[in-house]
Amino acid sequence: MDQIIRLWHNSGLYQMEPGQAVMIAIGMLLLYLAINKNFEPLLLVPIGFGGVLANIPGAGLAEHGGILHLFYTVGIESGAFPLIIFMGVGAMTDFGPLLSNPRTLFLGAAAQFGIFVTLMGAVALSAFGVFDFSLADAAAIGIIGGADGPTSIYVASKLAPDLLGAIAVASYSYMALVPLIQPPIMRALTTESERKIKMVQQRHVSHREKIVFPLLLLLLVAFLLPDAAPLLGMFCFGNLMKECAVVDRLRNTTHNSLINTVTIFLGLAVGSKLSADKFLDLTTLGILLLGMIAFSIGTASGVIMAKVMNKISTNKINPLIGSAGVSAVPMAARVSNKLGLETDPHNFLLMHAMGPNVAGVIGSAIAAGIMINYIAG
Amino acid sequence: MESSSLMSEGISLMLFGMGFVFVFLTLLVIVTSLMSKIIIKYEKSAGVLPEDGVPSPSTFIPHHETNAPLQAEADDKTLISVLTAAVHKYRSRHK
Repeated sequence: MDQIIRLWHNSGLYQMEPGQAVMIAIGMLLLYLAINKNFEPLLLVPIGFGGVLANIPGAGLAEHGGILHLFYTVGIESGAFPLIIFMGVGAMTDFGPLLSNPRTLFLGAAAQFGIFVTLMGAVALSAFGVFDFSLADAAAIGIIGGADGPTSIYVASKLAPDLLGAIAVASYSYMALVPLIQPPIMRALTTESERKIKMVQQRHVSHREKIVFPLLLLLLVAFLLPDAAPLLGMFCFGNLMKECAVVDRLRNTTHNSLINTVTIFLGLAVGSKLSADKFLDLTTLGILLLGMIAFSIGTASGVIMAKVMNKISTNKINPLIGSAGVSAVPMAARVSNKLGLETDPHNFLLMHAMGPNVAGVIGSAIAAGIMINYIAG
Repeated sequence: MESSSLMSEGISLMLFGMGFVFVFLTLLVIVTSLMSKIIIKYEKSAGVLPEDGVPSPSTFIPHHETNAPLQAEADDKTLISVLTAAVHKYRSRHK
């Protein structure tokens, strides 16, 4: 009899707390969204499953000594996983469209406005006593507006590890929701004739330029903002491997097997942060809301920047590509392209939108570096 | 008291951050354009690198006969030249 009672006391049903049950349901919901709705499945499947694992009562997978906790300590606390992912992203990025039209970098800069406005929003909310965010928390929340998963995770792990779960889930879900969130904003801010603007054919970018660019970027970062060097350094390294074309084997590993391996562990480790006591409170809701605002403002300011540039310059830019300045490569660029085709079936904006798109990656990494510099340094 | 200092910290981080992002990317625009100009000028005299880079070392040895892809490549080239000619003709007619 004693044994049966002990077994019962050790069972999940006996130990389950309501919060854990809710978190398991949320994990299942993420899995449903990933599998059935195809929302960033590469990340939401590991994150959702990690969330379920982390909340199994009594198993302690996410507690000290548990395997998920181990993944977290090794990969995220140290900052390694997001950086390795960034290297892989670099190895996939083509700077050609950006190099043929460097002005699109301004669009990538403007779209970072959302990050800082949201930071202000979070600070204001805690000043009015709604939430209790520190400046570091606010910065980590704002970076969701950069729409760049690895950057958000990197910044959150440095500045606000407690909020990491919510921030990672928010930034990856909004990346998946790009095709839903952006179009209404873009339509509202542009006129029909602006959406019809045809951009001049991009010039051919020579191989040498593409090889020199990552080195140039690296030097600029090294001179001006060493705090962004981990992110952009890995990014440039990945990109140089791609463009120099003499280390194809390394490049293939970086942008295939390595990034996939790391994604698995990164997802599980982020899932481990979805424990009931950390995730289930109003703060998470606040983060989701602020993240959404960050994202929308980023989109809007990118579009507005494009319109401002059109006022100044004679070489017209279709404002639709401004929204691609939030990173979310390549989803945001595809959205620009789709909206362009909607108004004019012969206007292909995809390659033009890739310029601001990769500029956004650089921009949000710079913004991340500044925040880390300002708060930690 | 504390909340107002948090606000002012937030504002200064926002202005400083946004300012720096713009300064950095403006510099990047300038440096990049300069780099492109120099390289384009240089390549006028030195020629361009081959598009697919220097042949990369690889342990992969294709098993199939290499005839087929070559054929396809040649076909592609003919196709491209035919298309180019057609476009030129179309454009010259529709001036």
